Amino acid sequence: MNRVIRRLAIGLLACYALLFVQLNVWQVGKRADLRANPLNNRESVRQFDAPRGPIVTSDGVVIAQTVKMAKNKRDASGYTYQREYPTKELFANVSGYYTYAYGATQVEHLYSDVLAGTTPKQQLLAVGSTFNNVDQTGEVQLTLNSELQKLAQRQLGTREGSAVVLDTRTGAVLAMYSNPTYDPNTVAVHNNDDAGVALETLANAPGKPLLANAYQERYMPGSTFKVLTTATGLEAGFISMASKWPNENSWLPPNTKNPIANYGKSTCGGDMAEVFRRSCNIPFARMSADMGPEVMVNGVKKWGVGEKLPIDLPNAAASTFGGDVADFTNSLALLAIHGFGQGSVQMVPLHMAMVAATVANGGVMMKPYVVAKTLAHNGTVLTSTSPEVWRRPISPATAATLNTLMVGVAKEGTAKCCLALAGGIQAAAKTGTAQLNAPGETQRSHAWIIAFAPAEAPRVAVAVMLKGVNAQISAGTGGTLAGPVAKVLLDRALKVVPQ
Amino acid sequence: MLASTVSPLAIARRRNELGLVLLAAFITGAAYVLASLGKNASLPARVGPFLVSLLVLLVCAHIGVRKFARGASPLLLPLATLLHGVGYVMIARLSDRLAGLQATWSLIAVACFIAVLVVVRRVTDLLRYQYTFLFLGVMLQLLPLVPGIGFSSGGARIWVSIGPINFQPGEFAKLCLAIFFAGYLAEQREVLSTGGKRIAGVQLPEMRTFLPVMLAWGVSVVVMVAEKDLGSSLLFFTLFVVLLWVATERSGYLVFGGGLFVLGAFIAYNMFGHVRDRFTIWLDPWSHYNGKGYQIVQGMFGFAEGGLSGTGLGLGDPTRIPAVKNDFIFAAIGEELGLFGATAVLAAFVFIIGSGLRTAIRTDNAFEKLLAVGLTTILGVQAFIILAGVLRVLPLTGVTLPFMSYGGSSLVANYMLLGLLIAISHSSARRLHEVAQ
Repeated sequence: MNRVIRRLAIGLLACYALLFVQLNVWQVGKRADLRANPLNNRESVRQFDAPRGPIVTSDGVVIAQTVKMAKNKRDASGYTYQREYPTKELFANVSGYYTYAYGATQVEHLYSDVLAGTTPKQQLLAVGSTFNNVDQTGEVQLTLNSELQKLAQRQLGTREGSAVVLDTRTGAVLAMYSNPTYDPNTVAVHNNDDAGVALETLANAPGKPLLANAYQERYMPGSTFKVLTTATGLEAGFISMASKWPNENSWLPPNTKNPIANYGKSTCGGDMAEVFRRSCNIPFARMSADMGPEVMVNGVKKWGVGEKLPIDLPNAAASTFGGDVADFTNSLALLAIHGFGQGSVQMVPLHMAMVAATVANGGVMMKPYVVAKTLAHNGTVLTSTSPEVWRRPISPATAATLNTLMVGVAKEGTAKCCLALAGGIQAAAKTGTAQLNAPGETQRSHAWIIAFAPAEAPRVAVAVMLKGVNAQISAGTGGTLAGPVAKVLLDRALKVVPQ
Repeated sequence: MLASTVSPLAIARRRNELGLVLLAAFITGAAYVLASLGKNASLPARVGPFLVSLLVLLVCAHIGVRKFARGASPLLLPLATLLHGVGYVMIARLSDRLAGLQATWSLIAVACFIAVLVVVRRVTDLLRYQYTFLFLGVMLQLLPLVPGIGFSSGGARIWVSIGPINFQPGEFAKLCLAIFFAGYLAEQREVLSTGGKRIAGVQLPEMRTFLPVMLAWGVSVVVMVAEKDLGSSLLFFTLFVVLLWVATERSGYLVFGGGLFVLGAFIAYNMFGHVRDRFTIWLDPWSHYNGKGYQIVQGMFGFAEGGLSGTGLGLGDPTRIPAVKNDFIFAAIGEELGLFGATAVLAAFVFIIGSGLRTAIRTDNAFEKLLAVGLTTILGVQAFIILAGVLRVLPLTGVTLPFMSYGGSSLVANYMLLGLLIAISHSSARRLHEVAQ
């Protein structure tokens, strides 16, 4: 029998030799292929489940951070690290979220390398400490102020809409909040299915909470757009402070049967300061139609209307004038309506804040930005944002004129009710009530205000937009509804931005 | 060699064994600490008590051998404890909860190992009970089919639940049937090896001698059809055919058995969806990634991740492989210990097989010889079946990896198997007058 047993031994040895060969195939021969296989997500999971630096506001409040979970709190996913958003909804539109299966958005997306510590600079810094297991992650410091942001949130309350506060001289975003929004903690969960359900629910929710309405959506601007119409007229030399318009309650634009009325069908007219202050519609309709498509379209374009806003966040929207020269050539009536911000003209709330800031800044439009600097873990500054000019839509003289006109609005015009700033600081503003309903339908309108302060040496600008989703908002005007929000924000912002 | 009361050879063997067992204990203890450092970046909780119980357990097993089988091969116990230790570390690293359960089973297994050494003082005595073992083996194998106590888990009906205890009687049935067949063939080998007709150059045995082969085939078919346990079915059949081959020294049985197996596999492939599934995912797991092929693909990814030296204990991601704690534990070892660690495991199995078959060759008692071959075949072939399945050398059939996989029945049965092998090894040493008694 021993002969057979020896054969058996050789047979079994051959079997195990076969196993050894196959083991080599998987672990050595085909290793690279298997690791590169798109179905193999071990590498990406390892990258995901790693320390990640915080996102911090200008006043040092952490709005996103990664924590190592206590062993007994780990879930079935097996992940060690959990991304957290301590301020919940407050900064969702700026920080975005960070997930495994659904990627990342906003700052989490754009600054992912810095946060994970994988930029070349950070890796160089970490070279010397290979054996110390040093934290390589980076930090992103925002320009936003948490108190101001909280104030914006509180002021909007349950109302849908956006509030943006800018530093007029740099373009730094001091606050940017929109309702409705969402809590990124509900999305940044480890279970991919749960994350998917949360995202789908948010994507289908009314008001598009996943979109940062303040810079990713555009709305009819109403009378706030008159700033652009006036600027175009002033720049073209078509109007001046001395210009006058008749007192009238109805005007029939060329080649049309539908007359244009003022807000509330009032009779309205007078000199430049008066029609701007009282926000008469007819003078701006006439102005727009009289200047013609070429001048208006090009004038508006100078402000960046039609271009994606140059903010340092992904997927910014572009404002639109609702047509090109050709579109308006045969329809001066439409051009007239667009002249006072009705029709198909749509502005991004952030863009309107930039408009106010440009007037405040002597005609220089700064690029808005939310990231002030990025830091390595040891505090070394990796990048620091320097303010940049985006464009110069108007001359300093025009800016000065518009400043005066907007002061009139705040002092004794449509914003008189609500813009008396603390310490007697003078604000400058323009209100808007964008009528969404067709004539005869139930009234529905967005309430707008854009403003800056102090009028004589501006530092901060604000745009507030309340969506016309209910009767309460639709019944008010930009001045009465959005004005008080702007006042609170300006008061606070002036404390945040030093002279 | 002359018999003496304290044989120097026995002393040397036991001294070697102790040294190797302590080495296995050291490797296990170090791996346990490293796995915890890798996974949690901290020392394991209650590491002191763990190391002490590990040492006590292994030294107890060694003392058992020293007391009751002091002439046995010094390699079997250390190799088994090494596999057991590495397997335990991996289970503990995969799940804290299972680690506690497996520790309890480890105690029971070592106790049963010593019990086997105590009870089986003379291996040939087992011959007297061979039909008892046949009865016991068949009963145990069919137990899961009894309504009320048998139940299915993971597709195979191989579990029995009595009171609070769940176990797989098939693990023990293998031992009983190996004992019966070794006994039966030791007595009948002369008859079975006398020739019948020659067909195509192969001398076939006479008709009546087909009976045991057919019985073995029948048991395998029952296991495959009724319990859907492909791996055990293959293991049984291999065991019987190998024993017949060794007992009769006639390759005809091997050829005939192989033919029957191919026929059985062909019929099973055409009759049962789950058999077809196993073939399909073996040939192409990629197109079934989101279904039945997921496990095998994740296993391959695990091996690839490990590369030569592995990710390190506690630093890989083996939990994503389904059933990694039992059937696929080798993939976890490949991932975290790399080609080096996985090869060490393969080598340990090869050495156990070598020691087992050497034991078979050394003894001149036909029963002991066949029993040693049978036990070694069970261990070696079972490990091969699951390793080949995990490595995609063969279609995957779920059996446990001896000594390493999580599971009480498997661990206890394999330690009992080890006890029997060591008893045979000691018995042959005694018969060769290498040691006294």
